[in-house]
Amino acid sequence: MEHQNNDTYLAKWLAGEMPDEELMEFKKTDEYKDYKFIVDVTKELETPTYDQQKNFSETLNKISNQNQKNTTKVRTLIPKWAYAAAAAVVLFLGYSFFFQQNTYQTQLAEQTSFQLPDGSDVMLNADSKIAFKSFNWDNNRTLELTGEAYFKVKKGSKFTVITKEGAVAVLGTQFTVNSRDYFYNVTCFEGKVKVTSGKLNHILTPGNAISIQDNIATPYKTTEVTPSWTAQESSFNEVAIYEVVTELERQYNITVLGKENLKTAYFTGRFSHTNLQQALTTVFDTMEIRYTFDANRNVRIQKYK
Amino acid sequence: MPDTQKSVCEQRVFEEVFNTHSKTIRNFIYYKCGDAAQAEDLTQDAFVKLWNNCAKVPFEKAKSYLYTLANNAFLNEVAHKKVILKHQKSVTSIATHESPEFVYREKEFKEELDRAIANLTEKQREVFLLNRIENKKYKEIAEMLGISVKAVEKRMHGALVSLRSEIKEFKK
Repeated sequence: MEHQNNDTYLAKWLAGEMPDEELMEFKKTDEYKDYKFIVDVTKELETPTYDQQKNFSETLNKISNQNQKNTTKVRTLIPKWAYAAAAAVVLFLGYSFFFQQNTYQTQLAEQTSFQLPDGSDVMLNADSKIAFKSFNWDNNRTLELTGEAYFKVKKGSKFTVITKEGAVAVLGTQFTVNSRDYFYNVTCFEGKVKVTSGKLNHILTPGNAISIQDNIATPYKTTEVTPSWTAQESSFNEVAIYEVVTELERQYNITVLGKENLKTAYFTGRFSHTNLQQALTTVFDTMEIRYTFDANRNVRIQKYK
Repeated sequence: MPDTQKSVCEQRVFEEVFNTHSKTIRNFIYYKCGDAAQAEDLTQDAFVKLWNNCAKVPFEKAKSYLYTLANNAFLNEVAHKKVILKHQKSVTSIATHESPEFVYREKEFKEELDRAIANLTEKQREVFLLNRIENKKYKEIAEMLGISVKAVEKRMHGALVSLRSEIKEFKK
């Protein structure tokens, strides 16, 4: 069949601009049936809902924020960094004379282990940091932790791990502490562990663990003898999917784009640290999340269930 | 007040412009990138810029100014992403009283159509969805994109042809 506008006749047809004669002919074809069907089904597509009020107030916020930035530009006589530099010098000298601070830190996709002055073993998971003062260590076994670590503590005086969320105190024992943003988890493998977070106080015995999210403590049991991540795995017990995805990022040094839009859902299971494809399948397929890779090794979340 | 005397610098006028255009601009960007949050962010940024330059942009030019800003911001910032639109939950079935097998096939077909739309070129997809879902006329789309009506028609035509060829494979 001949069309008057060879490369636009379908557009004309949809706009109702196809000449009558041509239209009658067109309607007899199989091609027409296909297109009609496609157009009918397309009518059922929908775009995400749009909250105009919310967007307008967010826009106004952006406008007023930028105004604030513009007006608070004040020139000072002594640049701020000079104060910072002076303070840093004092602090540095003070620390190096009296309390030598030891720091161990891991990058993304990296783990490390080391011994404390008393012979206690520490294994540090990816993207974590431990700081302690070796001065008078045997009488004051206190260290600060950000991230996740596994401790095998030699018997002796009280041993305390301080995190942003609270403190964990023990005598000789084995346990892990995981303190990340919005997520706090302690597992006891041997001995007795006391967990303090805000007003919460918990004592864990071997095989018991506790996770604290949004000030709610959830105790649970574990059958593991050592933490799974020391054996190249990460395991989760009803952990928010956002945290699980963040752990994927840490272990593989990848970026997952779109994770902030993930709905609240809880994941129980484990993924391996040695096979990225498998790990992604384990987490995303079970949660029915579609994803793709882009050119820069980033994972992009496509569709949320 | 005649339109020529309106100034975008007046908050009432600014709000009116926002209420008239923000949703379509959001969807315009959404059809390109498939990320609603990002589309809203870019849309808001376009309006912030409009506000900052309100004295320089006459009321009647505000619309095309916004589209140009949003489109440029998109090109600069957003890595291209496949778009998969959700089918409405309440499916208004094309052919009711059909066998379960047909219904199943139809569901599969819809998923296939989603994929086919995602596989359109960005230029075809934005034209196709702006026309089919936003009910924009070719002339309006041409103005938004700064291209000729003929070019819009060609993209529309091209979109349908490639959708059909992808779906034909599936139907066999």
